[in-house]
Amino acid sequence: MEKIILEGRKIVEGSAEGEALVTSQPLSFMGSVNPKTGYIIEQGHELEGQCLKGKIFVFPFSKGSTGGSYMLYDVVKNGVGPLGIINSDAEVVCVIGAIVAELPMLDQVNLERIETGDYIRMNATDGVVEVTKKAK
Amino acid sequence: MYLTDEEKSMLNGERGEIIQKCMKVLVTLGEIYGAKRMLKIKSVHFPGVSYRVTGDAGLNYVKEASTQGSFIVPATLNNVGIDMHNWEELGFDPDFAHSQIELSKAYAKMGAVMSNSCTPYLYGNIPMFGEHVAWGESSAICFVNSVIGARTNREGGPTALAAAITGRVPEYGLHLDENRKGTIRVAVNVELLSDTDFASLGYYIGTIVGKGIPVFTGIKNRPTTENLKALSAALASSGAVALFHIVGITPEAATLEAVIDKDVPVYSFGEKEYAEAFEKFNYSGDVDFVVFGCPHASIQEIRKIASLLKGKKVKAETWICTSHQIKDLAAQMDSLEILEEAGVTIVCDTCPVLCQTLPRGYKNVVTNSGKMAHYIRGLWDVKSRLAQVEDCVKAAVSGRLE
Repeated sequence: MEKIILEGRKIVEGSAEGEALVTSQPLSFMGSVNPKTGYIIEQGHELEGQCLKGKIFVFPFSKGSTGGSYMLYDVVKNGVGPLGIINSDAEVVCVIGAIVAELPMLDQVNLERIETGDYIRMNATDGVVEVTKKAK
Repeated sequence: MYLTDEEKSMLNGERGEIIQKCMKVLVTLGEIYGAKRMLKIKSVHFPGVSYRVTGDAGLNYVKEASTQGSFIVPATLNNVGIDMHNWEELGFDPDFAHSQIELSKAYAKMGAVMSNSCTPYLYGNIPMFGEHVAWGESSAICFVNSVIGARTNREGGPTALAAAITGRVPEYGLHLDENRKGTIRVAVNVELLSDTDFASLGYYIGTIVGKGIPVFTGIKNRPTTENLKALSAALASSGAVALFHIVGITPEAATLEAVIDKDVPVYSFGEKEYAEAFEKFNYSGDVDFVVFGCPHASIQEIRKIASLLKGKKVKAETWICTSHQIKDLAAQMDSLEILEEAGVTIVCDTCPVLCQTLPRGYKNVVTNSGKMAHYIRGLWDVKSRLAQVEDCVKAAVSGRLE
């Protein structure tokens, strides 16, 4: 299977691997995610109805409510959160949540190379993302 | 990054574990964003004060801080998840209420001002031009940066806590002159006459600009405080906007050249774009819930709604969300009596975005707020309609809106 290596900037150190859940739309952890279940609930969002649990969550940056920092922390503590986060341009509300949740996070990654269903091994400490493309 | 001796002693644990933990969060953030040093701040406004937002993870985080921490700068609190004085009567869940009270007590123990409102700039925490602050609450951040010209990044709960305990934030982002210039220009070609009109502008542009800085031209009539409150809230709901400029109106934008120093994309906001914003929230039919006061209603908004409802009765459940300070003011005027006679519920300290889901099964919501129309759909799984205040009042009285 095709493998590609992408580079990024460390936001929160650590490693994670799992299936990618990808969107090109910004997201607010407060109001767009149910913290008890990990499901995305924002009406009209392209990931509405998808679940963050066990995924490497790939999205451009966080938007909206500053309550999002604790909401990300809570969703991770509840065991229904993503295993790692990859952004194109990290916004501070998500960054703060990832710092306190000790959730591996990278940004400055070319998100166009990653699709939902690809398998991701991310090493945030070294700033490296290995993408195994899903079978076509 | 450079740290003073005092900041180093915070970081190396000489001043206790909690201060050390707070300083670590701030240094981590500063290093990510390339801050050269820490800044001393004048005030904090806390997001993450509702138990709905913190959950148990955040509740425990704040409680742990309160075992040793105390605030060394003035710090106000955002909305909580219940009306603190009236939660039983309003039907809030007792388990949720007790967790909320526990969380609020932890903040109080550290020295927070118990304002419980998303509009601290109307009452209790008013920064000055150019002052460095550490604020949460996306709408309030946008307001104080843009309308007052104070300087804050978008602080989440844990950094607001760290800032209040250490009195510091890393110097990056909107604290620096070079990051406060416009990234897009928006030529407004339609007359904006109400708070809801300004919300439609904010909602439409927030989607386009993301985390950038819009510069508005063509707004001829000087907007009211309430107009700018609605604009701030909508920009920070559909986008991550923390600062906007209106040429000739907001304090950093005396001229276009003062806020735009390079080629930026130009967008037009005319009749078509205005209509498109309303199209996003276009429910029509039976209405069971009408909400005003997002962000928390000012006394002028309450007077206006009272004048429209005088002598009438509402059919749909109708809430005006505000701070307890503004409710006290309304009680000293005729507004509160008029509204209570009309059957309106004045809800203090909270709002439907930040309180727990009510068990009454509302399905169809009308509001004059872009922010409320946006969040309530996902949070409560309802349909929403963005409408002018006069139409909201009609919907409240008749239980329908076409």
